[in-house]
Amino acid sequence: MKNARLLLIPLSPLALVTPAYAVTYLTVEQAQTLMFEGSVLTRDTRELTAAQIQAIESDSGVKVINPQVNAWHDSAGGWFLLDQVIGKHEFINYAVALDASGAVRQLEILDYHESYGGEVHLPAWRRQFIGKHHGSALQLNGDIKNISGATLSCGHVTDGVRRLLATYALVLASAEH
Amino acid sequence: MKIPTQPSLRALLALTVLACISTAQADPVPTDADAREQRLERHVEELAQQLQAVQAELQALKAQNQAAASARNAPPAPPAPSLQMPQQAVQTAAAAPAPAPSAVPAAPASSPFQNLSLWGYGEVYYMHPRDSKRTEFDLARAVFGIGYQFDERTLFNSEYEVEHAVSSADDVGEFEVEQFYIDRLLSDQVGVKAGLILLPFGLLNEYHEPTNFYGVQRNFVETLIIPSTWREGGAALHGQTEFGLAWNVGITSDQDLSKWDFAPEFPQYTTALDLEDNEVAPLQATHQELALAKGQHLAQYLALNYNGVPGLKVGASIFNGKLATVPAPPNAPVPDDQHLTLWEAHARWMPGNFDISALYAHGAITNLAAINAQNPGSPNPIPSSFLGYYGQVAYTAWSSGGYRFAPFVRWEHYDMGASYEGVSGPVVPTGLVPLSAAPGDYGYWPQRYDRVWTFGANYYLGPHLVLKADYQSFRVNTDFSRYDLGLGLNF
Repeated sequence: MKNARLLLIPLSPLALVTPAYAVTYLTVEQAQTLMFEGSVLTRDTRELTAAQIQAIESDSGVKVINPQVNAWHDSAGGWFLLDQVIGKHEFINYAVALDASGAVRQLEILDYHESYGGEVHLPAWRRQFIGKHHGSALQLNGDIKNISGATLSCGHVTDGVRRLLATYALVLASAEH
Repeated sequence: MKIPTQPSLRALLALTVLACISTAQADPVPTDADAREQRLERHVEELAQQLQAVQAELQALKAQNQAAASARNAPPAPPAPSLQMPQQAVQTAAAAPAPAPSAVPAAPASSPFQNLSLWGYGEVYYMHPRDSKRTEFDLARAVFGIGYQFDERTLFNSEYEVEHAVSSADDVGEFEVEQFYIDRLLSDQVGVKAGLILLPFGLLNEYHEPTNFYGVQRNFVETLIIPSTWREGGAALHGQTEFGLAWNVGITSDQDLSKWDFAPEFPQYTTALDLEDNEVAPLQATHQELALAKGQHLAQYLALNYNGVPGLKVGASIFNGKLATVPAPPNAPVPDDQHLTLWEAHARWMPGNFDISALYAHGAITNLAAINAQNPGSPNPIPSSFLGYYGQVAYTAWSSGGYRFAPFVRWEHYDMGASYEGVSGPVVPTGLVPLSAAPGDYGYWPQRYDRVWTFGANYYLGPHLVLKADYQSFRVNTDFSRYDLGLGLNF
């Protein structure tokens, strides 16, 4: 896998044509290795139904922009989830590792495409998500502190994690694997 | 484009041979063995020629493909989350890289707009000062941004601003380029900017969109002491460390003291709105903004910000440079060089629903004694120092579904002339003076310093729209006290 822009295919197919400005922190493989070292991950991509999308949006309060859930699970019940949110104008690609109970074990930013707001990559900010689970408030300026100058990116990543945790609870956790 | 592989070539050859044999077998039985042999030789020659042609075509296709691959791989590849994943579960060892997508779809026709970004912001004010005849309604600024991503490492950003709605020789408005720069990533931690850039000073200069600050207008300290929006031509290196220290260092254009107005006929501002708009503060009055800027001297700056603790930002910055000076009168001694130093320190803390910020800024210009002495009795000498500071507390009292109501209070002090060289200070007329050429327009000459309380609220309608209201109480220039309403947007 070489091209993060493939993630944008459903929304902006033309992004494939010309490389987009990006700070790349991790590839998907590097994120998987970092978050699930020594484990075997099984790709478990799901296509959300209209009813599931509606349920996730209702539960999280966040719009589902991609009906496909890019998920992997390991044999211990952990999950590796890929997602993207908009920073100010461009997408932020990020990954979340959930433990067997569905709590966030790690959050990694894969890439960032704008001049301002890249502070969401800072480890101290990302650590705030550890232990969050479906039902956590996950509100910027509430249980997730903001970064001055990166408000939109902080808010959108926070919303994205809330959406992922709702997706886990409503779709992934109930499925057998 | 698919390249024929070696097996497919062989198959093609075999098919051709079979076809030839079949054709040969279909021929009438030759009566002359030599003639048959010649025909076979001819067929073999034809086959050899066809094979050569296919090989030549294959080489051409290979070369073409390699060139295309090189072009694709020239910039560093970003990560590879792909939505084009197979629906069935695939066993993947986490430590081993997942296979690359086997084939990238052929690129569609390139669009000139595919890497283009457009954005904008703007604000409308309604200002009702104590002197109600000076009430004003203003489309303060309408700004449009254009950006373009040249490649994975290079970005162009620009902003174009119309102030006060109409810009013409007969109107008060201005059209200006606010930013125009290239930002090139040297690595994932370090970038370089060049062009017309915003200086990373204070809490507001780089984040000056109306959704980013409390109050209808920008605070006075970050308008009059740190000019807003402060931009210079130049180049800067910038980066961010893992533990949250952002640094930014640059070499830029500088101010031009020859633009200073020592002898204004009327006060340069008669309302708080004028104070922010009329470019009267030391760095506002001397900025060049890359408009045929005098470039014999360059300045340098350094800015540091720490974001390593979520919810907290602390930072400081310093700017220093030699200024373009005021021309000396004939036979007058040439004064020593003037240097400007501006420094500031700031902090913002956002615990829970609170948003607390504070900033101190101080500017100094050296060797002004001779220049000010050449303009005795001026109501507007150049200050040797100027300063300001503020503290602000905002609180999100209510929020729901993207809507947010946040009242705030701010106290600030600014002094655009804290000290002078060569003169004791501005010589301003006392008592009532004409404030403009308009008949009957009288008032008091305003002071260059003040202490201002601001009470107000921002009401956010989502992240892109904000309604604002505030009351500002000026303790020195009391006639400037005012009620303000504002509408801001940012997208």
